[in-house]
Amino acid sequence: MFKKILFATSATEACDHAARVAFDMARRYHAHIDVFHVLGVPTRGYSQVVVDLTTGDEVTLDDNYRDLVKEEIRSYYDHQIQTTDDFAITVTIGHPHREILRIARAEKPDIIVMGGSTGASGSYAHKKAATGSTFQRVAKAAHFPVLVINRPAASFWGGFSNVVFATDFSDAADHAFAFAFKLVKELNCEFHLFHALDITCFQTDNFHTQDTIDDQIRNAIAQIRFRYVSKMGDFKPYAMEVWEGIPFVEIVKYAREKQADLIIMAYNTRQTDDPEASIGSVAEQVILRANCPVISINRSVGKE
Amino acid sequence: MNKKILIIEDDPAVADYLTTLFQDNGYVTFSAKSAHEGIELARKEHPDLITLDLELPDEWGPRFYRKLSADKDLKNIPVIVISGLSGIKYAVSKAVASISKPFDRDELLKLVREHLA
Repeated sequence: MFKKILFATSATEACDHAARVAFDMARRYHAHIDVFHVLGVPTRGYSQVVVDLTTGDEVTLDDNYRDLVKEEIRSYYDHQIQTTDDFAITVTIGHPHREILRIARAEKPDIIVMGGSTGASGSYAHKKAATGSTFQRVAKAAHFPVLVINRPAASFWGGFSNVVFATDFSDAADHAFAFAFKLVKELNCEFHLFHALDITCFQTDNFHTQDTIDDQIRNAIAQIRFRYVSKMGDFKPYAMEVWEGIPFVEIVKYAREKQADLIIMAYNTRQTDDPEASIGSVAEQVILRANCPVISINRSVGKE
Repeated sequence: MNKKILIIEDDPAVADYLTTLFQDNGYVTFSAKSAHEGIELARKEHPDLITLDLELPDEWGPRFYRKLSADKDLKNIPVIVISGLSGIKYAVSKAVASISKPFDRDELLKLVREHLA
């Protein structure tokens, strides 16, 4: 399932919890791990003068500087690298999201692992309330599953055995289900299929009675059976639930209640294929708040 | 009857320190080096409180807690997380407290007393 991991990192504290999960996965699943770092953005065009993303200084890029950064990353992750003998460190220049997508297309990893916000720009409040823009751009365009660990609290599980799949019944969610089901079968996990019935519109819309909500919950359960359970054959360790509320809150609460070690959900589900479209706010909020790693799947996953 | 504390800690120096600290303050202690051993001891001894290291040789702390909370006889035992890792505060969402290593012995004893009162 996870034989090749692309760990995209700023090699700073902001990615420490993502590193914990990435290296743990590499060790646990005997995977090759590519530690990938974009060290700077060229000042213009193909200039060799780059702005170092860690220090903010302008530096002239040559092999020595590249080797120096590689060595710094090697020593930063020294403790974790010792747990695996199958790793590579790659550094490059460019805009981080483009370079991550570029190496992913070339290397075809089973999964891309990233931290959330590195807090590299913007005010403190903004940093805490938004996922990283690099992550957003990668998750939107990647043809591979993207696993994000935004909070340190999400990084202490070690492996996957209890997985929540959150669906909104979109086509993109069907892609996410296909990935999730493959994962739970191969890794022998408990599987929780979950839908959050969005009742936030009820505040401005016509008032809905509890009977209406209960009917919608029953319909959603029937949809879960029809769309997903019917494709699961004789797979038994699963449960399904529908809760009403604010979707991202309910998904995070459900995962916490089940003590899930992974959430899988579609990304940007209601959006078009337009790469400039804004990201799916439910997925973003779940990533920000979850107590476990979140894998986001967009509709291009599996197309390469 | 003295209250029982289960110490789940793989570092023998820390485990010995905690054992001495708790015994000197009138508690009965049991010590486990792994999550598996911890669950077995919890089932056998039914401790009144558990101190839990996060990074154990066989499992991470949250996974131990998941097993603990799945057992109806053990699920209400208060757990204090003690770890040297950063960002541990919310690692076990239902833990009663979390303390970073190196920890203050008085602070830990205060927490233990509060939750065993």
